[in-house]
Amino acid sequence: MTAPPTPSVPSSSLPKIRRILGRAGRGINQRATFWFIYLPPVLWLSLFFVLPVLLMAAFSFRSDMRGDLFQAFTPTLDQYARVAATGSYWRLLGISALTALGIGVSAVVLAFPLAYFLALRAGHRAGFYLILLLVPFWTSYLLRIMAWKILLGTEGIINSLLLYIGLIQEPLAALLYNRTAVIVTLIYVWIPFAALPILAALQRIDPSLFEAAADLGARPFHQFTRITLPLSLPGVLAAFFMVFIPTIGEYVTPLLVGGSRGFLYGNIIQDFFTKAANWPFGSALSIIMLTATLILIAFATRLIDFKQLFE
Amino acid sequence: MNTHRRSTPLALYYFGLVTLLYLPILMLFLFSMNSSASLSFPIKELTLDWYKKLFAADEILRAARNSLSVALGSSLAATALGTMVSILMLRYKFRSQNILIALAVLPLIVPYVVLGVALLILFSVFHIDRSLWTVGIAHTIVALPYTLLIIASRLAGFDPNLEEAAMDLGADYPTTLRRVVLPLIFPAMVSAWLTAFTVSFDEFALALFLAGTQPTFPVYLFSQLRFANRLPIMIALAVLMMMGTLALVLVAERMRRVK
Amino acid sequence: MKSKRSMLFVAQGLICALTLVLSACGGAAPATDVPPAELTGSLTVLDWAGYDAEDFWVDFKNTYPKVTVNFEIGASDADIYSKMKAGDQADIFHPYTGWLQFYVDEGLVEEIDTSKLTHWDKVPENLKKIGQINGKQYFLPWDWGFTSILYRTDKIPEGVDSWSALMDPKYAGHISMWDDGPGAVTVSSYIHGYDETAVTADQLASIKDEWIAQRDLNLFYWAGEPELVEGMKSGDIWAAYAWQGAYALLLGEGVPVAYANPKEGRNSWVGMYGIRKGTENLDLALKFLDAKLAEATGNNVVNLFYYGHANQDVMSGITDETLKQAFSVDDPNILNTTNFTPNLTAEQRDAWTAMWAEVKAAP
Repeated sequence: MTAPPTPSVPSSSLPKIRRILGRAGRGINQRATFWFIYLPPVLWLSLFFVLPVLLMAAFSFRSDMRGDLFQAFTPTLDQYARVAATGSYWRLLGISALTALGIGVSAVVLAFPLAYFLALRAGHRAGFYLILLLVPFWTSYLLRIMAWKILLGTEGIINSLLLYIGLIQEPLAALLYNRTAVIVTLIYVWIPFAALPILAALQRIDPSLFEAAADLGARPFHQFTRITLPLSLPGVLAAFFMVFIPTIGEYVTPLLVGGSRGFLYGNIIQDFFTKAANWPFGSALSIIMLTATLILIAFATRLIDFKQLFE
Repeated sequence: MNTHRRSTPLALYYFGLVTLLYLPILMLFLFSMNSSASLSFPIKELTLDWYKKLFAADEILRAARNSLSVALGSSLAATALGTMVSILMLRYKFRSQNILIALAVLPLIVPYVVLGVALLILFSVFHIDRSLWTVGIAHTIVALPYTLLIIASRLAGFDPNLEEAAMDLGADYPTTLRRVVLPLIFPAMVSAWLTAFTVSFDEFALALFLAGTQPTFPVYLFSQLRFANRLPIMIALAVLMMMGTLALVLVAERMRRVK
Repeated sequence: MKSKRSMLFVAQGLICALTLVLSACGGAAPATDVPPAELTGSLTVLDWAGYDAEDFWVDFKNTYPKVTVNFEIGASDADIYSKMKAGDQADIFHPYTGWLQFYVDEGLVEEIDTSKLTHWDKVPENLKKIGQINGKQYFLPWDWGFTSILYRTDKIPEGVDSWSALMDPKYAGHISMWDDGPGAVTVSSYIHGYDETAVTADQLASIKDEWIAQRDLNLFYWAGEPELVEGMKSGDIWAAYAWQGAYALLLGEGVPVAYANPKEGRNSWVGMYGIRKGTENLDLALKFLDAKLAEATGNNVVNLFYYGHANQDVMSGITDETLKQAFSVDDPNILNTTNFTPNLTAEQRDAWTAMWAEVKAAP
């Protein structure tokens, strides 16, 4: 693609709103456009995300569920004190974060070949193959996991197969109802989603780069390590965080396949809201988790400049 | 694109994964025709009874329709918002930029049950009754990080010089956006929309907290799960919905190839 | 596409406006002395999943066909309580024993004028009493049942005669407990003879340790009956904390199960309907509650959910052998040794649910 002729206005001033006002007529349009694009998401997020979370944070300073829930109350640190006093919750938070880390890494590693296949090998069928991958997600998660449990269960297909082959004498109970089952199931569920950002990143790679590299004598392996992998890194990192962050608070899968010992921090939070009707304590637990995750993210952005990934 | 390289192992990997993904679906398909009401092998008898009962079950179809409307509305909104934030992120510079991006992505760290309660508190304080609208609003919030990520990835990859060129040729920025940027990121927008739709359609935790008198399909399913004898009809519906989607996808692919 | 964008923006604005407007409109036409078939109005019921099916309010539907009944789903007692506390405008709600005191203490429930209930005399005295708090009839009993140990007779041929079976190492990996803190406290209280209404802090601590240890024997905690039924059917679960609905279902499927009569006695629970304090549909709500006690509705509860119904006539009219076995209809002694779930105080609720969360979080 050839560069356009030298523009009459310094390119650095386009489209940065503040320096454009000199252009007669265009200035106002630019401004209006900006506000038009700026206001909806900002208002939407402020009203339906920031405000609710702040309200919930306020709730965490409530002493109990007595009285009118939405009237002013005397704030107290009781809930946080109670959390601080319960070591097992902190431990579980750490375990949940580590588990999420493992799941994130595994999902990304396993999704990469998938994205590679779709971006660079599937050709014109890529879109179709992609959708094929996503269609199962339009079936109820609950039902799919129920069926998945049957696959893994003691009378399930895997065990029946292994018994039939003679590899085992007794059905393996260890496939289900433990933390491992939670991890395996979550990885299984996340792989197609993790493939999406990686795919997007791979699709952006200019195919002529490979031609050029091949012309210069680079072997396929080197093409991969020197071109594909580095250029796909933004997508890989995006995929990792897309899986890692939400998994820290995961609670549905442990309920379905985790048994008595596969619970994660998210389950504790959920219990306090839906079993104990104890919103203040649940809120305190949530705020702690959100803060911890924010710290993790802040740490990550120190190590990796995210904006740069998109440039 | 170098398509004559050996891609068999990769293709095998892809198809292997697809098989693994569809295996539970296949099992559900079998169970939906099982005359016994339980979710287990062996299959007692093959019957289409459950499907027949399904079409008489108004509430189930209504729940499915509710899910469809919520998913449609919220995914469109999420895509629109995601596009806006992407443009704001990559084509503008302003003071609160980083905060906006952070906020758009933050819903990822909030477990749905927490967001559900937070929104419930919000709606209660403002005396807004729970309804499909409240569910839809929640869904746009949780889908936004995904739409943003997908669209921003695409937008980042394309040369801002194109926009400059358009503007030099006399277009103002809104027109440039409309005529140059949006058509080029359209595939990403479709991808984002599909993702947002997927996120919303089967979403359960938020829907349970924020639904009023009209349940979405997952909420309805959950309600019927409580009583085991209703299960097969729900499975029949889930299978039908999936087959319908699959059929749509196959038709779209066929049409695309004919072109 | 600026027009598309502006359309979306306008649409969003409309959505917000519409929501606010719709929420401002509410309330139903007051019920007057109109013949039942002509009576119009609407009711909202906050109920458990599945109870919105017409089978469970069929008498009301037939008597007042022009009244619309909307249902909101509550996922648990805690969820229903939270929603009512958060200002849910449902006219009627459906809590269970153990969770009744809070509604009265927080002023959320209306007293029931039983003189307006035509089926009230069909309800046995003990059930009526359970719906009374501070001497006033705040709740209408509707569905009830037992809790006991359900077990596979082929896996546990020696039978089960005590609640301690749920903690028996002999059945390691084959036990399933209900995912509920107060339920766990109840079981421990039965085993150790604690006074359920006055569990001390020390007792609660030992209960916690007990259930932490029990995790090694427990395959999974069940949250809904289908999980339990599948588990018992497949033989993964040999003994479980269960309501008699699961028992009847498994019996009907030919699975060799038995429902224990533990020496500490079975537990029993009762589902209640309450009217929200301040509802404008008080008359209509009372009519709904009354119809809930009627025979057709009652028969459906028994036959479809295998739960007991508060209407005496319905219970004595049961002919199905499976059901008779499930309800121990022919054994009057059962009810004598049955312990009914007492109502928790707010402190107990907080302490017992926190205990259970710590059991789940323990290393």
